[in-house]
Amino acid sequence: MQIRHVDAGSCNGCEVEIGAAFGPVYDAERYGARLVASPRHADALLVTGVVTRNMAAPLRRTFEAVPDPKLVVAVGDCARNCGVFAGAYGVAGAVRDVVPVDLEVPGCPPRPEAIVDAVRKLTGR
Amino acid sequence: MNLVLGALLTALAVGALSAVAGLFLPRDVRPAVVGVGVAVSGASAVVAGAAAMTGQAAALVLPDLLPLAGVLVTVDALGGVFLAVTGGVAVAVGIYGIGYCRQHGLDARGVQAVLPLFVAAMMLVPVAASVGTFLLCWELMALTSLLLVIAEHRSRPAVAQAGRWYAVMTHLGMVAILIGLLVFAAHAVDGSFAALRLAAPGLSPAVAGLVFVATGIGFGSKAGIVPLHAWLPRAHPEAPSNVSALMSAAMVNLGVYGIVRVGFDLLGGARDGAAGWWWLLVLGLGAVSAIYGILQAAIGTNLKRLLGYSTTENMGLVLVGVGAAGMFATSGDVTLAGLAMAAALLHLVNHAAFKTLLFQSAGSVLAATGRRDLDDLGGLRAGMPGTTAAFGLGALAASALPPGAAFVSEWLLLQALIHGLPAAGVSAAIVMPLAVAAVALTAGLAVATFVKAFGIGFLARPRSPQAEHATESPASMLAGMGIAAAACIGLAVLPTLVLPTIGAVAGASVGATDPVQIDGMTIRLVGVAGALSPLMLTIALVVGLVAALAGVRVLATRRAARAARLWDCGAGPLSARMEYTATSFAEPLQRVFDDVVRAEQDVDVTHHDESRYLVQLVEYRRRVPDRIERKLYEPVLAVMAAWGRAGRRLAPGSVHRYLGYGFYALCGLLIVLVVTR
Repeated sequence: MQIRHVDAGSCNGCEVEIGAAFGPVYDAERYGARLVASPRHADALLVTGVVTRNMAAPLRRTFEAVPDPKLVVAVGDCARNCGVFAGAYGVAGAVRDVVPVDLEVPGCPPRPEAIVDAVRKLTGR
Repeated sequence: MNLVLGALLTALAVGALSAVAGLFLPRDVRPAVVGVGVAVSGASAVVAGAAAMTGQAAALVLPDLLPLAGVLVTVDALGGVFLAVTGGVAVAVGIYGIGYCRQHGLDARGVQAVLPLFVAAMMLVPVAASVGTFLLCWELMALTSLLLVIAEHRSRPAVAQAGRWYAVMTHLGMVAILIGLLVFAAHAVDGSFAALRLAAPGLSPAVAGLVFVATGIGFGSKAGIVPLHAWLPRAHPEAPSNVSALMSAAMVNLGVYGIVRVGFDLLGGARDGAAGWWWLLVLGLGAVSAIYGILQAAIGTNLKRLLGYSTTENMGLVLVGVGAAGMFATSGDVTLAGLAMAAALLHLVNHAAFKTLLFQSAGSVLAATGRRDLDDLGGLRAGMPGTTAAFGLGALAASALPPGAAFVSEWLLLQALIHGLPAAGVSAAIVMPLAVAAVALTAGLAVATFVKAFGIGFLARPRSPQAEHATESPASMLAGMGIAAAACIGLAVLPTLVLPTIGAVAGASVGATDPVQIDGMTIRLVGVAGALSPLMLTIALVVGLVAALAGVRVLATRRAARAARLWDCGAGPLSARMEYTATSFAEPLQRVFDDVVRAEQDVDVTHHDESRYLVQLVEYRRRVPDRIERKLYEPVLAVMAAWGRAGRRLAPGSVHRYLGYGFYALCGLLIVLVVTR
């Protein structure tokens, strides 16, 4: 499973936890998942943060650039329901308002175990 | 009067009439009449040259035309090759010039009158048969070409500078040829080439070597051979494009003609064992020119300058063939010598065809966009489909890949060099593998160069508004390109039609029988194992290409296709500024050959007024200076300039002093005469 991470307007808390999940301690790669550098290489998108107005179109285009079949994982409370930023200026909405979401990971930020758990749901291992 | 002489005289007469027409006709019909005249004159020269190649000879003696020396004209097979090539180039360029001259403001009286004279002078050089006639025609060619090079000097200062370089170097070359031929003629009964041939066996090796080197300097500089090439990448690009085509495709050949004529024919260098080092020198300089020329072309971004350097490269390859032929002949292997010479002459013909085409299409681009930097071009396919196709074909022909024209001649050249290894002694054992490597490296770099020139310059998206709004050239220019393109295709697919004749001429020049045999559509080498069928190769390539494309199409249609936009990182549309440029394409090559080219680059970062953390502007500049020019020419120029400044003190403006100079010089001369007699 090749995963492309998209930061749609995150505070970088979720990024730190994703980094930890794919780091040497939790090592999500052993479950067959890999972070890649382009949506053209990806099977799934890992989206963090609220979707800001500036990132709505790029997120949509990134989603279109992923070859079918594809999955979207919304990581963190902001990605699920805008979290503390709900209703703020410049927020276009949650991830599911812009692209279809298949899996959600709650938490602000979610613990690395939760992210690894979601990744294992994707890879089935 | 036979066919050769009749056709030659027709060519010259039509040329002269066109020159007169260029002087006196009104401006609106001038380019058309002169262009047609040049084309007819060229066609006539092709007939004369072809007839001469097949064995007809002709001679003409006009003892009273020039004082003392007279004019002596002889058309033989070797001269016929060059006459026919010059004529062929003139046909294409004449037709092309009808539209080009009108569009480009080149319909002035002077330019239109000189153009046919230049063509006629180039036709006279290979048929001149005495020292006086030859030097006269050579000088006429140099002067007329100089006038044409500086045709646009009012609009661009670079033209005047190029003209100065060309004028000085071509005349220094002329002086070298003059010295060589006069020393030679001093040992003969008179200045006719027949007398020189008779006198050649009596020359001491030192005198023969001096004659060869002196004439070689002059002819080599005309052929653009390193290190005498400095004028070529300046003058060829700055001349009007029809003149560039004539100079690059026809005039440089005459440098090779001079080396072959003097070295093989007049001095008998093929018979003389002591002449081995001449040909080693020719081969070595040829190989260096080939690599250096194509390296500069691969890195350059100016379209016409790139083509000029490519001329240096191709003339280098021709001289590799000529030098190898001389080495084989002096070591006694005349069959291989004939093969190498045939390869050289065929490459010369091929080069004439594709360089005419390339310079014409570059001129068409220049006329439509006014831009010559590849980094400003691109996207011409939409506006100029004919020119793009022409340049693509020329690039294929120039890149030594099948089914291009240069492939056949470079294959022949490599065959001769490879089979030369077991033939001769120590020098051949060292030189031949190096020459093979040089030719192979040159061929590889040529592919990179022409992929760059075609891909960056004509495909992709336009990089400037001028390129975006370019429109196709008029029909006469396209017709001129069409003639050259037809010649390229013919030479690539059916070289079997011309190779036997060229092979016979090449064999005769080194005293061998035909080096190649034509078996149906297949070229078979005589004396060594090797065969090639260009037509079959082309058919196989086309069939393979069509099959591959059809296979991809069939596989692709099995699954439903999904249209998606190009991945642009989710940001706005991709712009032309994000494209690969000629500079960036050549950057890896420049890195690899950095020890040779020593490009000068400069990165300037301008910061924002309010904070050094904000960058306002990043400027990147790169220049690729010609290192040979810098090391070899600039010191000489500096000394000359210093000398000139010192000389100014001798002439302060005092009449008394000038009278004194005259008086003392006369007295000194008289004293010298008295003492020495």
